[in-house]
Amino acid sequence: MLGILQFLKGYVRMKIWGVSPERFLNLCSNKNILLWDIRKDGDIYTMCISLSAFLQLRPIARKTGVRVVVLQKFGLPFLLPGLLKRKIFIAGLLLCVTFWIISYRFVWDITLEGNYQITQEVFTDFLASQQVRVGMRKTDLDISTLEREIRRAFPEVTWTSARLSGTRLEISIKENDAPILEEPKPVEGGQNLVSEYAGVITSMIVRSGVPMVKIGDVVEEGTLLVEGRVPIYNDDATVREYLYITADADITVEHSVTYQDTLPTTYIQKSYTGRRSTRPFVRLGGREIKLPQERPYLVYDTVTQGHTPMLLEKLSIPLSWGQYVYREYMNVEHEYTLKQAEALLVEKELQFLATLEEKGVHIIEKDVKIEEGSVCWTMEGWILVDQLTGRLVPIAAEEPVPEAAE
Amino acid sequence: MRKKQAEGTSRREAIIDSLSLPKDILLGALRVTLTGCQEAWVENYKGILEYTECQILLQGKNCQVCFEGQRLSIEYYTNEDMKISGCIRCVRYQ
Repeated sequence: MLGILQFLKGYVRMKIWGVSPERFLNLCSNKNILLWDIRKDGDIYTMCISLSAFLQLRPIARKTGVRVVVLQKFGLPFLLPGLLKRKIFIAGLLLCVTFWIISYRFVWDITLEGNYQITQEVFTDFLASQQVRVGMRKTDLDISTLEREIRRAFPEVTWTSARLSGTRLEISIKENDAPILEEPKPVEGGQNLVSEYAGVITSMIVRSGVPMVKIGDVVEEGTLLVEGRVPIYNDDATVREYLYITADADITVEHSVTYQDTLPTTYIQKSYTGRRSTRPFVRLGGREIKLPQERPYLVYDTVTQGHTPMLLEKLSIPLSWGQYVYREYMNVEHEYTLKQAEALLVEKELQFLATLEEKGVHIIEKDVKIEEGSVCWTMEGWILVDQLTGRLVPIAAEEPVPEAAE
Repeated sequence: MRKKQAEGTSRREAIIDSLSLPKDILLGALRVTLTGCQEAWVENYKGILEYTECQILLQGKNCQVCFEGQRLSIEYYTNEDMKISGCIRCVRYQ
């Protein structure tokens, strides 16, 4: 910091010699003149002194009989006259500073992070609907309103943060990992709970309704598990009326799931020929300028290599450049070996089992085999699982309400 | 006269000692701070008496202090304090 101040104010390196240089130093210090980097070389002293203090030295030098000669000049006051002669340089400097100052008042980049379910395109459309876009003025951006609108428009977003970092608008969101549960709507006339699978009941917790089965019972698909029609009895044990409610219970059924998966015996793999061509581009805002080029190869893929400059690590400007790399390839047909097919099918099976586990299905036993066919590999078998069951169906309008006993 | 002055000084020193007051401020004693043998900060001096590459002689209020060594130079010099750098071999009071 001291060095910067010295540079701004300007200083000189001088040499002194004469009758009494020590007295010269003492007088300087008495007049509060700062001297630094004082060295002695033979009879000559060299030292640094600020430009303003140097102008006060004449009476001291005369009094002490010392001669003063400037060796070097440093700092802005000595550079400025030379710089001012270079008009184009000064104009460029001023234009550059003006460009920075003006550019700093706009948003030149918008980044989004933390999105898994919400795609970038959906979010970009939402921002456009909120008049938040690249090139807008920073003063037109209301961050708290934007955050509120994000939470309102996307219910799955549990937390959001938007902040301006230089000319970049950084939006961070956190999505709800747990599924959004909807409150079941009460249905008029009540609902029964019926089995979705055929199997043996292993556990039952009934919260509302009349259980029609018990643990150990064998049920078929569609078997009534819990009835939503609850009888209300008179004192003489006759039914006075029925109360129609929505049955609610956690009932698990042990049943087997048939598993089948296939894998073609052959697959297509890209084989790069090694031939590639490039096509440079410059992107300015939403416009892209690139050299005209014919279709490079019959079959090819494209890799985009881009560079976005950042001025002073904060000032993002809407200019980027790079190149498209076209890589030629050929589609080559390969045949799976037994090991490869087994590995792929087992991986798919494990994914399927993991999906079941995620749904809360308990896997008890499995028996799966791999067979080779003429056109594909087949994996089939059964998996014994313990799974929650229950599907709500409206109660059929039958059985008229019995008349209350007189 | 000189005897009286000496008596006055010793009496003042006794008072300052008994009150545990800083001597460098009240008596104007030289204050020398050394960092290894490379750097020295000096305060409460009156001026430079002699400055060569091998010796820097400073005048204090009551005494003189001499820094001896090699390649001695003054990093900065103000009315308040100064910094001496170089290879300091000896600090001698005269």
